[in-house]
Amino acid sequence: MIKRYIFILLLSVTLLSAYQSQEELRSVIVGKVAKYISWPRSQRQSFVITLLNGHNFELFKRIYKNKTIHNKSVEIHYIENIKELQATDILYIATQNSKNLLEILQQVPKKGVLTVSSIRGFAQKGGILQIYFSSQKARLKINLHVAKQEHLEIKSSLLRIADVIR
Amino acid sequence: MLFDKKLFFLVSIYTTLTLQAKDLFDDSLEDLMNIESELQADVGSRSGAKNLSDTPFAVDVITANDIAATGLHSVTDILRYFVAGFNAPETSIADGSDHVRVFTLRGMSPDQVLVLLNGKRLHSSALLHVNGTIGRGSSNVDLDTIIPLFIERIEILRDGAAAQYGSDAIAGVINIILKNNNANNIIEIDVAKRSHKDGRLINSEIFYSKELEYDGFVNFAVQVKDQDDTNRAGPDRRVEPPRVTTRVGIPQSRNYLASLNIEVPQKNGFNIYANALFNYRDSKASAFYRPAGEDNETGYIHDGFLPIINAKIVDFSSTIGLEGGFGYGVEWDLSNTYGINYIKYYVDNSMNYSLGDDSPTSFYNGSLKFIQNTTNFDLKRCFNAWNFAAGLEYRYERYAIGAGDEVSYIDGGSEGFPGYSTMSAVDVDRSSYAVYFDTTYTIIESFLFEGALRYEHYSDFGETKNFKLASSYQVNQNFLIRFSLSTGFRAPSLAQSHYSNIATFGGVVSGTFTPDATVSKTLGAESLKAEKSQHLTLGSVYKIADSSTLMVDYFFTKAKDRIMLSNEQTLSLEDQELYGVERVSYFTNAVDTQTYGVDVKFENKFYLENSTILILNAWYNYSSNDVVDFNTDTITRENSFEQIDRMEHGQPKHNGRLLTKYKVRQFEYSVNVNAHSKYAEVINQQRYWFDWSWSTDVDVTYHLSKNSTISIGSINIFDTLPNKWDGLAYSQENPYYGYDSIKPYSRYSPFGYSGAYYYISGRYQF
Repeated sequence: MIKRYIFILLLSVTLLSAYQSQEELRSVIVGKVAKYISWPRSQRQSFVITLLNGHNFELFKRIYKNKTIHNKSVEIHYIENIKELQATDILYIATQNSKNLLEILQQVPKKGVLTVSSIRGFAQKGGILQIYFSSQKARLKINLHVAKQEHLEIKSSLLRIADVIR
Repeated sequence: MLFDKKLFFLVSIYTTLTLQAKDLFDDSLEDLMNIESELQADVGSRSGAKNLSDTPFAVDVITANDIAATGLHSVTDILRYFVAGFNAPETSIADGSDHVRVFTLRGMSPDQVLVLLNGKRLHSSALLHVNGTIGRGSSNVDLDTIIPLFIERIEILRDGAAAQYGSDAIAGVINIILKNNNANNIIEIDVAKRSHKDGRLINSEIFYSKELEYDGFVNFAVQVKDQDDTNRAGPDRRVEPPRVTTRVGIPQSRNYLASLNIEVPQKNGFNIYANALFNYRDSKASAFYRPAGEDNETGYIHDGFLPIINAKIVDFSSTIGLEGGFGYGVEWDLSNTYGINYIKYYVDNSMNYSLGDDSPTSFYNGSLKFIQNTTNFDLKRCFNAWNFAAGLEYRYERYAIGAGDEVSYIDGGSEGFPGYSTMSAVDVDRSSYAVYFDTTYTIIESFLFEGALRYEHYSDFGETKNFKLASSYQVNQNFLIRFSLSTGFRAPSLAQSHYSNIATFGGVVSGTFTPDATVSKTLGAESLKAEKSQHLTLGSVYKIADSSTLMVDYFFTKAKDRIMLSNEQTLSLEDQELYGVERVSYFTNAVDTQTYGVDVKFENKFYLENSTILILNAWYNYSSNDVVDFNTDTITRENSFEQIDRMEHGQPKHNGRLLTKYKVRQFEYSVNVNAHSKYAEVINQQRYWFDWSWSTDVDVTYHLSKNSTISIGSINIFDTLPNKWDGLAYSQENPYYGYDSIKPYSRYSPFGYSGAYYYISGRYQF
């Protein structure tokens, strides 16, 4: 009888619980946010997410394996230097780039790239989407002005759940 | 058998499959933003925050939300509430130790715990515990100088980390992280009382945050805490008829705290940061009552008097720093941390017997001061799977004892607490510099390696080199194993090397002398050298589900040349004549010890229907401390029985915490059960045991609105008291301790002896 209770307890724990690492949540949110954003028309067959530095390449590959965004398959690219950047829909900038963020943002093409990062002050410094955590929960900050410069259209339903910098 | 192989196999297979089947990408964005992320901690590595379940060593985190639901307003009490193996007795009639709470981790010495504030070393108190309390012979950081409302989280590293942080990180490291941006403004008022209708506490705290550009902030907080004393003294059988004459309990204190935390990030990545903590404490506790008798028959109080020791403590610390980048991904951090703790002692309602009717009744008894200034320059570079950090540290320390008024120390001095004499007065300093390297390497995604090296040179005792190796291996998605191996050290404090004082108690003149004093050397004392330690930890983390974790960690620490204050040794009659004292104690690298044990921690969070949440955390700690070798002929188990026994049996070996919280609609219910195993105290060379104790804490919080809450609760709701001395009764030779005497309880009691604490709190966010 005791064994049965333990078994049921563990099963219920498994079914009802939800704890995720910040890294994993951020990685998933990047793709989920993309569904609320319209990009300028592109000839690319796939939706490209480029990671700049950081060691989350394997995590992104695992999460976006066999996934689609805007009906396109997802490709994950990894670069170590912004000069290596090729055509991309999303540029995810790891936090270790915080000290040369301005140089990086200056080299991002001015059309159709959603820049995403968790670097503090990212949205105010000219990035578009900042993902940060408060009381262990993910929060979004969007720089609408820069998004418009990049010709990205953001749905109002996303703006409602984010802090917006205009 | 409860856990047979078949059951374990089924559960493992099921949980593995379930976890693997879960795909976050199927959740909506709104759902993702409502998921609580796993806690992270910075402590233990310079390469950035890590998830608690991925670290190669055991780390615990107490969050601001956890703290808010305790009804407690002292960081020492908060740690005791949550952490099994964190011991903080409430002592009384122990001079300065009444006013600066001592604490230990895993039963080791208070000065073997390093405390960091935002990752920077916090200075220790100027107080050296020299009475018979837990932690005798050591100084510790005064944790109650920090406003709880100012804290974002407290990280506790349960491992040696001297190779990363330097001296003191032997039993563990406590890293207190202050709130930064995105913090709510809060005002809180609390009123509390003890079960005996004493110990009234009125606490008020305000936290205010102003956001600056680029996620910068200015945070400011103040706290005013007004604590009345408690008294659990038994009858004083030296007076007729026997009655309560002495105060035995929590001291009366007024605390004023103010804190500031600022970050001003610049657009170019440059960051300016600063924080400051200020605390002024006015604390009063009694000494033993002085009954009428031979000594004071000519005094102003012919029927006896109760000396009141008044400590006025000023504590201030401040860090100023700059962060930037050199290009090529290299980040630098230059900071300076200054800290001062200054204690001034006064004694009221007392007299100096030697002055007879001319004795004043109030005395200024001198001061203790400790200053620490630490300058750090750190570099960090991340190369994908490899993180590398290096740094330089320069630290300056100064310790001073200021003499009291002459009437406070001459010819026996003021009763209750003789002042520091001009002979004790000292003003000394030292410096140290260190160079350190720290690296983490993710060999493959599931295999992490960490290494650290540190070289340090102290101007007073020389150099020390330490290392740390640690690794974690993710066996599968649910199971991680971890280990660490390191060496460590603890520099003898300036206070241990230079403290001296002479006191008269019961007509006997005794003194604590520096190890280098001639009188100490006649007894075999030598200059102090650093304590050295070796550490091994082996652990595992089993994720039963995404928010259900079982952690089991074994630890072993061997500490060589541990510094202790010797017992009082009686001088030969010739030396008594020469030095003017009868008994002498001094600090010495007396013993080698072994500490070993295990932490078993189970954390679980159930998300039930209708936004109801049930949190169930259990933590068991076993810590055993054994003296395994004696380094000097003058200290033996027999002649230092009390000191050795305090180390081995003075603290509970088994500690347990069961923390539960149930959130439903506007209510949060917390019920916690605390368990402490038996412990012993020695009186007159005889060991007395105190039983296992269980206490229960309850809190009910009601959310009046989105911004306001009211909480009612109790710590130790069933008014549990430790058992009284078993078999120790009043006698003329032992008039103070005993089940029927002034001090009926042991001062080692891990949960004090003031009984139930009832509180009501109101909190408003704006």
